[in-house]
Amino acid sequence: MATQLQTPGAIGPEAVTTRVESACAWLAARRRAAWEAYTALPMPDRTNEDYRRTDVSALRPDEFVADPGETGHGAGLLATLREMRERIAPEAAFVAATRNGVRACEGTDPLLAQGVLVSSLEEAAERDEEAVRRALAHVPVDGSKFTSLWNALWRGGVFVHVPAGIEARVPVIAAYSAAGEQAAVFPATVVVLEANASLTLVELQVSPAAQGTMLSDSVTVLHLGEGARLDYCLLQRWSAATWHLATHRAVLERDSRLRFFAATFGSRLQKAYWDALLEGPGADATLTGVCFGGGDQHLDHQSLQAHMAPSTHSDLLLKVAVRDRAQSVYGGLISVDRVAQKTDGYVQNRNLMLSRGAKASGIPMLEIQANDVRCSHGVTAGHIDDDQRFYAHSRGIEPEAADRMIVRGFMQDALDRCPHEGFAEFVGGVLDEVVAGHSAAGVEAEAPA
Amino acid sequence: MSDTAQLVVEGLRASVEGKEILNGVDLVVPAGEIHALMGPNGSGKSTLAYTLMGHPSYAVTGGSASFAGTDLLPLAADERARLGVFLCFQYPTSIPGVSVVNFLRAALKAQGREMPAREFLRTLSAVMRELNIDESFRSRYINDGFSGGEKKRMEILQLALLRPRLAILDETDSGLDVDALRTVAEGVGKVAGPDMGLLVITHYPRILEYLRPDVVHVLHRGRVVVSGGHDLARRIESDGYDPILGAGTAGTAARNETKGAL
Repeated sequence: MATQLQTPGAIGPEAVTTRVESACAWLAARRRAAWEAYTALPMPDRTNEDYRRTDVSALRPDEFVADPGETGHGAGLLATLREMRERIAPEAAFVAATRNGVRACEGTDPLLAQGVLVSSLEEAAERDEEAVRRALAHVPVDGSKFTSLWNALWRGGVFVHVPAGIEARVPVIAAYSAAGEQAAVFPATVVVLEANASLTLVELQVSPAAQGTMLSDSVTVLHLGEGARLDYCLLQRWSAATWHLATHRAVLERDSRLRFFAATFGSRLQKAYWDALLEGPGADATLTGVCFGGGDQHLDHQSLQAHMAPSTHSDLLLKVAVRDRAQSVYGGLISVDRVAQKTDGYVQNRNLMLSRGAKASGIPMLEIQANDVRCSHGVTAGHIDDDQRFYAHSRGIEPEAADRMIVRGFMQDALDRCPHEGFAEFVGGVLDEVVAGHSAAGVEAEAPA
Repeated sequence: MSDTAQLVVEGLRASVEGKEILNGVDLVVPAGEIHALMGPNGSGKSTLAYTLMGHPSYAVTGGSASFAGTDLLPLAADERARLGVFLCFQYPTSIPGVSVVNFLRAALKAQGREMPAREFLRTLSAVMRELNIDESFRSRYINDGFSGGEKKRMEILQLALLRPRLAILDETDSGLDVDALRTVAEGVGKVAGPDMGLLVITHYPRILEYLRPDVVHVLHRGRVVVSGGHDLARRIESDGYDPILGAGTAGTAARNETKGAL
């Protein structure tokens, strides 16, 4: 692989050095430690419980370019992201980043006037050090192979800090895109809500086209102070040749409420962690996913609902449809600490397989140490119901249209849980296209031949 | 049109999972007429309904069925529906996530009768009022969590909106209380007209008191064995099927008589 290491800007010690040199002291130290941890950690293989059903052995991170220099893609990527902003929430503050860092930070005035800080994470690491350090502590430098890599190499990033008692007047859109062969992109979103603050944040991770081999190593940290309320929406639509490794970690203090909604369409292989750590009594997390896969996509979701305090509530619903040879893998754990009495935890994973070759499996787990709790889970996997088909046909609806309608209906209850109307409509539109046979990956996906 | 838009079934045989249920059904339902199909449990009434609608689990093993001069048998269910055949389901299927409005609009569109949204909603509201269906049902998922009676009314709602040329009602009256039965029967009565043939499958003569069928057929062991006027239904109500079905030979005689009557 020595020849690969010579690729300018490839993932490797040189790229890390560049990052370290441009970082403030505490961040530089973090990056160095993270790179050390990354090189020491083995690539996860099937002996790693998390990767038992998801094979990343063919991934060679050092073949991907973290620092491309000037690519000429920037303007086009920005235009695509701005267009999405217009459709989802035109009033939103908008921060867009590519491999070369944050390229746009717009519409932030109404928030700045409220004292809400919206900036690149790099900038915030210097200006709002305490808050950024506190948030990044949730993603230790030696936590796992891919979070270590992320800690060493993330660039740009989006940071939102809402002061106590402030209800952010407009949503924030954090948008990430990259183009070009062998691009390595490190989306980095950190949101800190102080006590009784509230915010809606939409994160977009998209490729401008369905093709192009990429690596996306992404971390989102959501910190909800006491009584804070966060509505978080995510669109993942990387190209169909992208390796997507993502960690979403939400930490909820007393009586805070998170509504987390993620729409997954892209990537060749996804391993996404959704961790909700309910640290304070009365904390409440609703996690919802819609996921559609086709072609040879392998889409893995792994969730953790950690009830660490009494009277906490969590409810996860993941709806997945797969066709062609696509495969969905779900694993979820509800853990309840001894002190977390009166916990109410729920997991549901519903899978619809649209082709003979498509597969879906879900394994939910409960680990309960308290004795006064209500926890349950349900997993189903099946095909389109023939009775539903016949019923629609009997009304004259053509078979293909009937199937589209049924699949779209299957997703609806999850879509109904989306906390932001504009985002729900946008995702509904993507679902319509995807269900109609268009590729799920990339934002300019083309219809199959 | 009305004299050719008739259902003609001749010697129809059909089986489910290898078991023959229809054993040579003969039946003609002309446009503008209401025909009732009665018969004991297991006689094949629902099988006939599904077979005519084109359910893929029902295999036709002989005979013919045509509507308005078109052979139904090679057609898929959706093609039959677009030809004007409609089945009121005994057990309507729910499709979670698909609202009543979206389902109905898709059906109208498929049948080439797409309406502007406002006109559609106005039409829908009017029909819902007549059938005593609350407006809130518009945005509910079709048949999802509906009570038995609500499902049946939703079937009649579709019948009224789609205005087929041949409607087959598969025990639409079963499981309804007297008030719901009247609502449903009156709904059907309003939709029925000179351009529509109606085949009402039922166990109970009560709905026939509302609909006043032109002909009553009795299906037994997969064949129509007796046909007659409305009084035949009343005779079944008072005496049961036994005196009518009698021995096998009586059945055959009755069938010949039926043919003569038609």
